[in-house]
Amino acid sequence: MIIEILSTGSVSPNGVGKIGSPEKCPEISLVGSSATHPVALVDKNAPEILKWSKEPRLRRASPISYYLIEAANQALAPFPDLNRTRIGVVVAFFLGCVDYSVMFYRQITTDGRRYGSPILFPETVFNTPISHVVATLGIEGPVYSQIGDKSGWVTALRTAECWMKNGSADHVIVLGAEEFDPHVLDALHASRLLKKGLPLAEGAGAVLLSSKGNGSSVKLASAKDGYCFANRSEAIETAVACLSNAPQSAPILSTSNGWNANVENFTATGREWLFDKKLNCEAFTASAAWETIRGIQLIQELQLTSLVIPHWGITQQSGAIHLVR
Amino acid sequence: MSNPSSRVAITGYGCVTALGEDASSTWDALLEGKTARAPITEISIDGCRVREGAQARLPLLSGHTQKQLSRLSRASRLLIPAASEALAKASLLKSNGMCELMRLDTSIGTTACGMEMGEGFLRSVWNNQPRGRGSLLAHYQAQQQVGELHRHFGFTGSTTLIANACASGSNAIGHAADLIRCGMADIVLTGGYDALCELVFCGFDALLTLAPEACRPFDRGRNGLMLGEGAGFLVLEKESLARTRGVEIHGFVAGYGHTTDTGHLTLPNQDGTFVETAVRDALKNAELDVSQIGYINAHGTATPFNDSAEAKAYRRIFGNTPARLSSTKAALGHTLGAAGSIEAVLSLLALQTGKLPPQINLIDPEPDVEDMLVKMGEKADLDAVLSVNLGFGGSTAALALSRS
Repeated sequence: MIIEILSTGSVSPNGVGKIGSPEKCPEISLVGSSATHPVALVDKNAPEILKWSKEPRLRRASPISYYLIEAANQALAPFPDLNRTRIGVVVAFFLGCVDYSVMFYRQITTDGRRYGSPILFPETVFNTPISHVVATLGIEGPVYSQIGDKSGWVTALRTAECWMKNGSADHVIVLGAEEFDPHVLDALHASRLLKKGLPLAEGAGAVLLSSKGNGSSVKLASAKDGYCFANRSEAIETAVACLSNAPQSAPILSTSNGWNANVENFTATGREWLFDKKLNCEAFTASAAWETIRGIQLIQELQLTSLVIPHWGITQQSGAIHLVR
Repeated sequence: MSNPSSRVAITGYGCVTALGEDASSTWDALLEGKTARAPITEISIDGCRVREGAQARLPLLSGHTQKQLSRLSRASRLLIPAASEALAKASLLKSNGMCELMRLDTSIGTTACGMEMGEGFLRSVWNNQPRGRGSLLAHYQAQQQVGELHRHFGFTGSTTLIANACASGSNAIGHAADLIRCGMADIVLTGGYDALCELVFCGFDALLTLAPEACRPFDRGRNGLMLGEGAGFLVLEKESLARTRGVEIHGFVAGYGHTTDTGHLTLPNQDGTFVETAVRDALKNAELDVSQIGYINAHGTATPFNDSAEAKAYRRIFGNTPARLSSTKAALGHTLGAAGSIEAVLSLLALQTGKLPPQINLIDPEPDVEDMLVKMGEKADLDAVLSVNLGFGGSTAALALSRS
């Protein structure tokens, strides 16, 4: 089966329809210490984002829901005539609805058990944002919310592949999305996963995949995951294995965001690497989506015949996709 | 006869529930009409309106030091023994407890991951207690529970972690079957898990959906659900692989249907339309006729809106066929991300034994399904069964299991 990427959509700190973050970002303090870290936030007052908050169903939705709906809507916009009963949606989350989850937990632990908002609680559930997406955009195909680290993006692409192979859907929108909450800084700081100076970001990215394309779009030749690790030395071993199983003649888009630069250094010999300044922040699954989107752009801009894009997870596994023109 | 290369055989199953530490003890207690409802002691829920639920006793885990055990999330303490039972039944465990396979793909459902670890992390931030913060985080996320599964059994592989609320366990099993059918995997360990935690318990308490007294699915006087915890796992593989390995085939995942009810986040469509579509899709996928379904393990949370929607759907689908129906949540509690997988295990046991889990706590049955509800001690010769689950966000999933 040939899987084409018909279109993309994105919401990022750089703007709606754009990826990445501005070069200079504000420093935000950790909750539990005076340390600070640069953070790149989406402009929640952008008209393309604000318009979704006016939908009756979405009045109390979390920011991540707005990012997802806008990204998915962009991906669908060039194809208004697609049969929406045959479109599936799969979203990859690393953190999910962290903003409202923290807020709800604070309510029940600080204010008292009976001050937990019954309106807020359902918005903390992982699959609530994607339920908002399909309800708002009138999509009726299969729907999954999936959890994982950044490499969960690759697993989400595999799910889309599965649905198109077994006939559950003709088209699948694959999304990655994250929202910022300052506790995430504390979490990454405690785990020593924050690269000094690399902005932590939020936003969403979407790709519309099709098994019914006309052959003119960039194709997803393969999506490989399952290179799992328990610590950093294993991570390097598995990442090397991941790349060694990717086509050897294809250039590789550098997506390292910190300690996994070692992996790229280790595997650099004899391979052509592309470095891109637009991939300048870390938004986990949203970043993974932006990396894929940037890869598609680079294939077109540089007239590449193929490109490997690794999606380095930070807590679970490595994965990579292979795009061809 | 279907092509064995595309049929999905069930070669292993296991579960840990509040009624038992494995599938057989859970099953025996269920058939006896027991309920696990008791005061919750393992998590802090002081101040909640309801303080009872179905709390599991954690099985002993061999091969772990006390320190290692203390670092595992409660969720991992539930899912590792359940997976171990399933792997053992599928002849995939060596005598030292490690998996026979170096690579084994997984498809797993959860809603809360290792939530008590995440809660501990937040408290440590708010109370300025940095010690141990990294470890709490390292055991919170769902991929960490899968990592613990990998390390415990010594395998690795592709992992799909599905978080479709309370349908997650069913979705995970259906997805595993899909992966096998479309040639993306030969054998998959699949299931779901969730442990009781403060955030979720207090969330349901805030929604006023917890039953202050006995949980009564499909009773007109029902007044809410009973939260529970547990894990359930199946080993699914290509029938041809199972035949080659010479392992016992306990049944087949014959069909899978899933829909999303987009009407409301927490209230199912009251006509049961999305349940009906998911069930009919599962039957179509399985190439089964409605008349071949002998038992339905319903979602049956005992909330007023869920059960009436399901009841209407089942009456429309099954008409006057003799299909039997029960919700095991009255006994085991609602185990959220584990519900679909535990209930698939129980549905499989019904298929194998011909014994049906009774609908307990019934006083005044819901009229739409009154004649379908299973009474104590009922038996039936079953060819195929259904397991149905619904979740927040409208996730709805139906699995059709068959004996041959």
